Amino acid sequence: MLTLENVTVRFGGLTAVKDVSFSMGTDQVLGLVGPNGAGKTTLFNAISGLVRPGGGRVMFNGVDLTRKPLHARAHHGLGRTFQIPQPMHELTVRENLLVAQRFGAGKVDHKRLDEIMDFMDLTDQADRNAATELALQELKRLEVAKAMATEPRMLLLDEVLAGLETNGKRHFTARLQDMHKRFKIGILIIEHDIETVSSLCHRVVVLNFGEILADGTPDAVFRDPEVVRSYTGGGEDA
Amino acid sequence: MQKRMIVALALLYVVVPVLLNGNNYILSLLVSSLIVAGMAVSWALLGNLGGMVSFGHAAFFGIGGYASALLVTKLGLPVMVAIPAGGVAAVLASVFMLPALRLSGPYFALAILAYAHIFKILATEFSSLTGGSAGLSSIPGLPDIFGFNLSSRLGAYFVVVSLVLVFCWVYGRIRRSDYGTALRAMHDSEDATRVVGVNSLMLKSWMLFVSAFMGGLIGAFNAHVINFLEPDYAFNSAWSVLPIVAAIFGGYRTVYGPAIGAVVIYLVDQLVFKEIMSTGHQLILGAVLAGMILFAPDGLMRLFKRKPREARNAHA
Repeated sequence: MLTLENVTVRFGGLTAVKDVSFSMGTDQVLGLVGPNGAGKTTLFNAISGLVRPGGGRVMFNGVDLTRKPLHARAHHGLGRTFQIPQPMHELTVRENLLVAQRFGAGKVDHKRLDEIMDFMDLTDQADRNAATELALQELKRLEVAKAMATEPRMLLLDEVLAGLETNGKRHFTARLQDMHKRFKIGILIIEHDIETVSSLCHRVVVLNFGEILADGTPDAVFRDPEVVRSYTGGGEDA
Repeated sequence: MQKRMIVALALLYVVVPVLLNGNNYILSLLVSSLIVAGMAVSWALLGNLGGMVSFGHAAFFGIGGYASALLVTKLGLPVMVAIPAGGVAAVLASVFMLPALRLSGPYFALAILAYAHIFKILATEFSSLTGGSAGLSSIPGLPDIFGFNLSSRLGAYFVVVSLVLVFCWVYGRIRRSDYGTALRAMHDSEDATRVVGVNSLMLKSWMLFVSAFMGGLIGAFNAHVINFLEPDYAFNSAWSVLPIVAAIFGGYRTVYGPAIGAVVIYLVDQLVFKEIMSTGHQLILGAVLAGMILFAPDGLMRLFKRKPREARNAHA
């Protein structure tokens, strides 16, 4: 169970995330949505440890992670991907996964790595340089594969579908659903595409100006007039 | 590979000693070049694996030298115990440098440079212990072992060549390990490695400690070879700059490149460039290094390694 209690992140005088509280279980896929600048990635950074919240707590499975460094959160079962893929430079795809598994899961299991590469369609790219020889879609799959290699209980996916064309997006969404069911990994995903969020997520949390605007099922949330207004910046029929 | 290793060991432990025995001048130059080689491996370990460009390795060299010399002269420790203790002293000093690991690039380089300078000031100011700017003299030399005089030029050669080979072996082992892979990954993507569970600060700290130990050990060995230390010499910036030049010349991303680069560059400078230009021969050295960076930035080792592939491509 991931629990955020009044998480607040400030950058100087700017409050990027304000008093955000919600909980989600590892049996859920939760979509975090909101207009640009709503504080979604900042909240991800606070959960994963890239920024330290100015207030509030981040709890995972009863452990307070608020002050724990980035690497320690991976050891507690929190995995994450980056909006702009960050492959480990100088390493092949297999080596990327090996480092993630060795240091994230604390073991080396080549069979499991092969499984992950097979699941994410990366087997043919195993010996390619991750930073220079992969296409965008492959890089996105590598981001998820790296996170999977750490054997997470909860995955934070930051716009992992962005930049993919419609078919690629559908394919990737199906893969994430499969991953959630097969490996029992909770997913917290930032995504702009409402159709994708509706088909993938059990629940949606909408952020606007760093605060929670709505929290509920995709159907209910995307019909909420406040949410529509926040996205369109005008009236309901805009 | 194993065959090449046997040939290299035979060359270093049999051919070179047989050929140069009695030629104290060349042996002295070789020992000096191997001291730089040890420093170059120590620097490359931190620079290549740890991703931290250090301009302060003179600190480890000086601390190792002073610690070993003082342990022998003041506490009466045997030289062969004091030399590794010099390495340990450099590790202890490097603990004070840990806060600098949070910095990167030029900020780290400058912070380490400042740390090195602090140790030089300490060595000068604590004159009751270190002899101040006058330094320490009559530092005991290397002992006899099984009747073999290690303080002779040939004995010193055997010790230092063994140290450098062990350094290269350790460097290679770390590089091939999972830790080495993670360290390589950290260079341009530290957040990407931390987010999958790599404790980057701890890995960098270990690299700093291993590098400091090597630098301190070589500094300690040097103190017992030259039998004299003073702050301007022991903490001279040359002990920071020469290893960098040597490592880049030889190929700092290879295991043996820094050591080979040090020996080649030092001997060529002393035996060739100095003959051509007795004063200012470093100018030619600088020009050669500039040419190397421009035309073969990966260094001497990679230059030789690339040849066969290029030849194959030419035939294809």
